[in-house]
This record gives sequence, structure tokens and C-alpha cells, in this order.
Amino acid sequence: MSTGALIYCFNSEQVQYHRTTNFCIELIKKNLLLPVTVVTNSATKDHIKGADSFVVIDNQKNNIRFYKDKTIPWYNLERSRSYDYSPYDTTILLDSDYFVYTNNLLELINSDYEFLLHNRVHDLTGRGSFEYNNRSMIPLVWATVTVFKKTERVRKIFDMIKHIQKNYSYFCKLYRIDFANFRNDYAFAMALNQLDGFNQQYFLPTAMSMIPTDTKVLKIDHTGIVFQYDKFVNLVTEQDVHVLDKEIPINV
Amino acid sequence: MDIRSLKQQSDHSFNLAVSKKNALERAKSRQLFAYNNHLFRADADTINLVHALKQNNKKFFILDANDNPCEIDNAEEFLQLLIERNQETLNQYHQLHEQLKSKE
Repeated sequence: MSTGALIYCFNSEQVQYHRTTNFCIELIKKNLLLPVTVVTNSATKDHIKGADSFVVIDNQKNNIRFYKDKTIPWYNLERSRSYDYSPYDTTILLDSDYFVYTNNLLELINSDYEFLLHNRVHDLTGRGSFEYNNRSMIPLVWATVTVFKKTERVRKIFDMIKHIQKNYSYFCKLYRIDFANFRNDYAFAMALNQLDGFNQQYFLPTAMSMIPTDTKVLKIDHTGIVFQYDKFVNLVTEQDVHVLDKEIPINV
Repeated sequence: MDIRSLKQQSDHSFNLAVSKKNALERAKSRQLFAYNNHLFRADADTINLVHALKQNNKKFFILDANDNPCEIDNAEEFLQLLIERNQETLNQYHQLHEQLKSKE
């Protein structure tokens, strides 16, 4: 049975995502000892270092997001095809800005659970920045880290995500989601709600640690991250972290 | 009354509180582990439950972290693993806690 990590990486004019991707790959190799497959496009591929294999596609580009008072392209429309792109029996699907400083994720692949993701987050700045309860009828889940096995049920989950993506505005109205641009977190939440009997049942039973967008990363290396919000400076080590700041000072 | 110094103390306390909270969250993340294809938290509740049930039964059922039932057929081994993981995480938390205490 094969196990590996799957990452998406598409550079845009505004953000050089390959920088975080390369760092993410380094940490996976160091702490999880797993092969890494990167789904990318031909323009980005040459910048990526350390991956074991690539899936090169012509990615869809018709989505945007608001980031630090700007509107920037958001190339997030391919995640629903992860089941098809992954060459592994068990896949750890990660955002390229999720940094694994531990081997905690390896525990998950030793369970019978076919599809796990976070439904809780922990704001490392202590402000509880990620409360979205009033923005939809169903609880948000986080597609940032998704551990899945290639089973019939999981194939159906990804098929449902594709269906929701295709009819996103309808499903947003159905679930009263106050977020017009396509967002994988909501698509995954709705798919699980539909397929798990209008309920969401199984989650990764820990909170995902996050550093919010308005927080500056001062230093980042293989041992941890120093970050600053307002006048407060703090350090995180030996903990897996999702960093939302796209201007991380990584030199890889 | 030196308001400036009170404000500094308040900021300092906030920073320490956040560090403690983050360290506790790190410990909780580390406490998750797989056993018999299920996921469990190596926390006080699980340890107490397993310890209590194993007094009278060699085999028993408990709920995993997602409330699914799991048969435990080697309670001694399971309890040992739970305690090891629990103490590993709390030892690490304790070390940081001591460091922070000296800064209070």
C-alpha cells in the first residue's frame, strides 16, 4: 500500500507559490519521510525542487480572492480532482503553505478512516480570528489538510465536490453561504454534508494551528516560525502550522 | 499610578497566556495516536477509562476520537502506550511552562 503527499502549486503574477511549496516539500521529506507529488502547470514546474513526481495540467484561472486589501487571482479550482491526480493508495493532501514540523500526520494513515480533515482551528495569535459560524448554515471544514484513501466512498466524495464546484452558486444559496467566490473549504463541507446523511461525521480530531493573514512571519526555518502581530512577537516550534501570509521570507 | 507600567504588564501577560495556550494545543495534537485502526487521544479521560475497565475485563469496547467503537483486546499494552504518549507531551509542556513561569 503506497502513501504519499499531494500538493498543488500554480504561480501567479502576484505570488510566487513555488517558494512555499519548496519549503513545504523539504519539511515533508524531513519529518514525514514520504514521497511528494506536485500538481502544477508548465510555467511553474521548473521552479519546483524536491518533488518525486509531477502532474502537469493547464489549470483553470477564473477565480479571485481578497488578500490584504487587494484582489488577486486564486488558482484553487483543481483540488476536486485530487482523487484522480494522486498516485497513492493513501494520500495526505496539503496546502503548500501548511508546514509539517512533526510526524503527527503519520498517525492518521494508520487508522481505518478513509477521509479526514480538520473542523477546528487554533489561532496562534490568541485572537480567535477564524470564527465563521455566522457565514453559512453548515459548520466550515478545512480542506487544507485532507487525508484520504482510494475507496469507493472517497471517490463519491470527490465526485460530489466536483458537482458542487460546477453548481457552486446554487449550493451557496442552498446552504446560505456568505462567500461568493469558490472556496474549497465550503465545497468539501457541503459534499460531506450531502454524502454523510446531512451531517458531518468524521474529522481529524485535533485543531489546525494557523497564523492569520494580518500576521507577519519574521523568520522561518526547519526548526520553527517567528511571527509578529501588532506589537506581539511569538515563536512556534514542533507544531504543524498553516501560514496565511503569502509573503513569507523563505529563501528556497 | 503608572498606567504605562500597567499596560506593559497587561501586554506581557497576554503574550505569556498565548504561549501557554499554543503549547497546550501542541501537546493535544501530539496526544492523538492510532491503535487497532482507530484514533485515540492519550488524555486523562482515556487513560482513566482504560485503567478502570481493565480492572474487571481482559477485553472491552471503548469509543475512539470520532465516537466509533473499538475493541481493546490487549488493555495492558494499550494503557502503556497511552501513558507513554501522555507523559511525553506533558513533560514537554511542563518544560515550557517552567520557562514561562520564570518570566511572569
